[in-house]
Amino acid sequence: MVDFALDVAEPTPTGGRSNRRVAARGGHPSWATPSRLLGLLIGAGFAGPAGFVVWRTIRLGGDLANVAKEVPGPLWRTVQLSVLVSMSAAIIGTALAWLVTRTDLRGRRFWRIALVLPLVLPSFVGAAAFIAGLAPMGIIHDALSAVGITPPRRFRGLGAAWLVLTAFTYPYVYLPVAARLIALRSSLEESARLLGLSSTATFFKVTLPQLRPAVFGGGLLVFLYTLSEFGAVQLLGFDTLTRVIFATRQSNRALSFASATVVLILALAVVALERSQRGSGQPDDRSTAVVRRSRLGWRQAPALAGCSLVLLAGLIIPITSLATWAQRGIAEGRVSLNDLVYPAISTATVAVIAAVLAVAVVMPVALATTRRPHRSSDIAAVSVIVGFAIPGLVIALALAVLTLNTPVLKGLYQTSALLIIAYVIHFGSQALASTESAARAVPHALRESSRLLEPSPIRRFFHIDFPLMRPGLVAGGGLVMLSTLKELPATLLLSPIGFSTLTTEIWSSYEEGFYAASGLASLVLVAVSAALTWFLVLRRSEVVRG
Amino acid sequence: MFRPRHYVRVAATLAAISLVAASCGGDDADLTLYSGRSIELIQPIIDEFEDASGLSVEVKYGNSADLALLIDEEGEAGEIAADVFLSQSPGSMGFLEERGRLGPLPESTLALVADNVRDDSGRWIGFSGRQRVLVYNTDAVDPADLPSSVFDMTGPEWKGRVGVAPGNGSFQDFVTAMRATEGDATTLEWLKALDANDPVLYANNSAIVAAVGRGEVDTGLVNHYYNYRALVENPNQPSANHVFATDDPGAVLIITGAAILAGADDAGPAAQLIDFLLGSSGQQYFATETFEYPLAIGESPANNVPPIDFSSDVSNAGGIAFEDLAGGLEATRALIAESGLES
Repeated sequence: MVDFALDVAEPTPTGGRSNRRVAARGGHPSWATPSRLLGLLIGAGFAGPAGFVVWRTIRLGGDLANVAKEVPGPLWRTVQLSVLVSMSAAIIGTALAWLVTRTDLRGRRFWRIALVLPLVLPSFVGAAAFIAGLAPMGIIHDALSAVGITPPRRFRGLGAAWLVLTAFTYPYVYLPVAARLIALRSSLEESARLLGLSSTATFFKVTLPQLRPAVFGGGLLVFLYTLSEFGAVQLLGFDTLTRVIFATRQSNRALSFASATVVLILALAVVALERSQRGSGQPDDRSTAVVRRSRLGWRQAPALAGCSLVLLAGLIIPITSLATWAQRGIAEGRVSLNDLVYPAISTATVAVIAAVLAVAVVMPVALATTRRPHRSSDIAAVSVIVGFAIPGLVIALALAVLTLNTPVLKGLYQTSALLIIAYVIHFGSQALASTESAARAVPHALRESSRLLEPSPIRRFFHIDFPLMRPGLVAGGGLVMLSTLKELPATLLLSPIGFSTLTTEIWSSYEEGFYAASGLASLVLVAVSAALTWFLVLRRSEVVRG
Repeated sequence: MFRPRHYVRVAATLAAISLVAASCGGDDADLTLYSGRSIELIQPIIDEFEDASGLSVEVKYGNSADLALLIDEEGEAGEIAADVFLSQSPGSMGFLEERGRLGPLPESTLALVADNVRDDSGRWIGFSGRQRVLVYNTDAVDPADLPSSVFDMTGPEWKGRVGVAPGNGSFQDFVTAMRATEGDATTLEWLKALDANDPVLYANNSAIVAAVGRGEVDTGLVNHYYNYRALVENPNQPSANHVFATDDPGAVLIITGAAILAGADDAGPAAQLIDFLLGSSGQQYFATETFEYPLAIGESPANNVPPIDFSSDVSNAGGIAFEDLAGGLEATRALIAESGLES
């Protein structure tokens, strides 16, 4: 009750934010402060590939009638799929995060880790594994037959793409929401319960509004992921705009780039919508979170069943299919782990570098949007986010064109440095959302008082902000790392000659029907991703504690 | 709260790490190859070439179309990095030829193959071939019921029973070949009839062969060697190839081509590599390891692959002039889209 009283004594979150915003604008109307210029510079770097897409679209001209004929159908399918997948991922991710952080769910330490893992599979591998699982003697086929259901003969179209993409993308919502729930104190919820609200009503009226930025931020990542996804939709035969970009990239470049521009416009609209709707997760002004868990009671069993079902779809079914492929080849001595050592090491190295660099690069933008909001910081943030909506192939071409045609940058062409820059541009948005919530996790009052004690902003950052931000930064970097591990098109085009990653190995084997090699490389990718996630991310963030 | 200077330091450290990582890549080799054919299907013969010639070769692997786009950008900037391009798809070769990115091949190299498996203007040459076939599930289909022409696959008895990959390069190459021999009107009519016959759409050849193998669809239009590959992976798979009549567009041969890029630094070693691919050990590698048709004059395919006679000017694979496969890909794509097959 004391907590509650303290809360109402403080300014309302919206009031507080807009007051600060007004103060900030009033205080520094200029765009030319060093931090704003730095933010704009970073934004410009991220906006480069988008600029390339627009420039090429204009230069190639293209026939508007042709665009009007070819684009609307795929555009509509893209919108359908992206909306459905981001909504289902938001619901599943939020529900799971609440179960593992705020209830007495059995085995929640296990679930907290296991439920992150579906993120590690490239979606084309996941789709292929689902398709294989539905074949006679496949795991899904046999399981359905055993319970008397006739398995579907074909697995394709909107429903299939929706299922597969949801199964592999909900962690984009699950991770930030779980992190937010751990940071949020439960005193407001307890007060609500004491005042007579049911636990369901408390969740919807008290908890959910505080989670909104995290849910929206994660949902946006899922939306943009679906927008630029190619491998899974192609395998599942769902004709989205990304398929138009790929199918026409050589035969009709004008149409290909025009489609990429349409994707870009759609992404910008959705990013703007999300930023206006997410609300502000105000800084928590009390740093110690005391968490009371709801008792699930009779709901324990359905909750466990739900978690199992999600894990079954996102991890167990694909891994079983992949293991079946790999095991056939290992038994006959056609594949061996030795060939995968170099790709595994190179994959892990570039992914970790890309993750650290992405967090460092988006940090100024995140600090600006959360602490000194200004039009310039909004522009920078939107540029960072839109990089995720541009297909990796297009980002790769953009960077190739830039380096090939700029004398001072020529040396970067086909180096790991350029490849890592491509990863940072493509996946920086994943670090941004988490870094923003990390910045909000530093109590305003704490920053105010630290100013009196420590005059150096750099030391304040390392002694006050950084330790408090660390769980969020690690989570953001972790997302970038996992995405980099499974990136394919940009890796193929931009990597130095002779460089290979596990994902390029999986792809080349799969394309030519070497399923055993492909299955084995996928399993190694899952193992490497899981190990890195555990040692570098989960152990260092607070997601596994408690 | 923060000073740019600090970030500069962090960025500089990371840039240093990146540069160290970068230095692990690319030493200068005698020859740079961009290969649209995957590492599994070409690297062993490249290793053999290195041993035999003493030259070092570095290879960049990728999708043929993506690599062609990259070569085009390199050419546009006057910074050609590759010497040789190997393309899985004649379409990508045609794209680069149209963009003026291919250099001339030596006469001695061109003379290694019959006229009909190389470019008329001598800018690319075929080194292996894949035949279009109908793969079928042996449990679900009686071979006696299989027609001799791909035109018959649009009949009511095949409704909902044919797997197709309309977005895949090899299907598009096959349609281009059909346009060349049958004309656009007939081709469009066939595509429409195929679309109306409830075909099952897939992403690529391997997906169709796998689907046929597990009984998801009864038949599929594919390249011949995917089924041989699938049977190595799983010998119990009930699938087999059916070859249409020799003069049928459904039996066209799609070639894997090699070219030297315009402005390549190492044109000499480049020609040496292409000659090696067309030599006896190269050709027999493709015949026995990838189950493809060797194209050099005098070489024959593996025992279990039905031979094609290349002795005549008009090939046995349907009388198609192969250079027609390369051009006009956009027209093919538009035709496929018009038939409704893509959506």
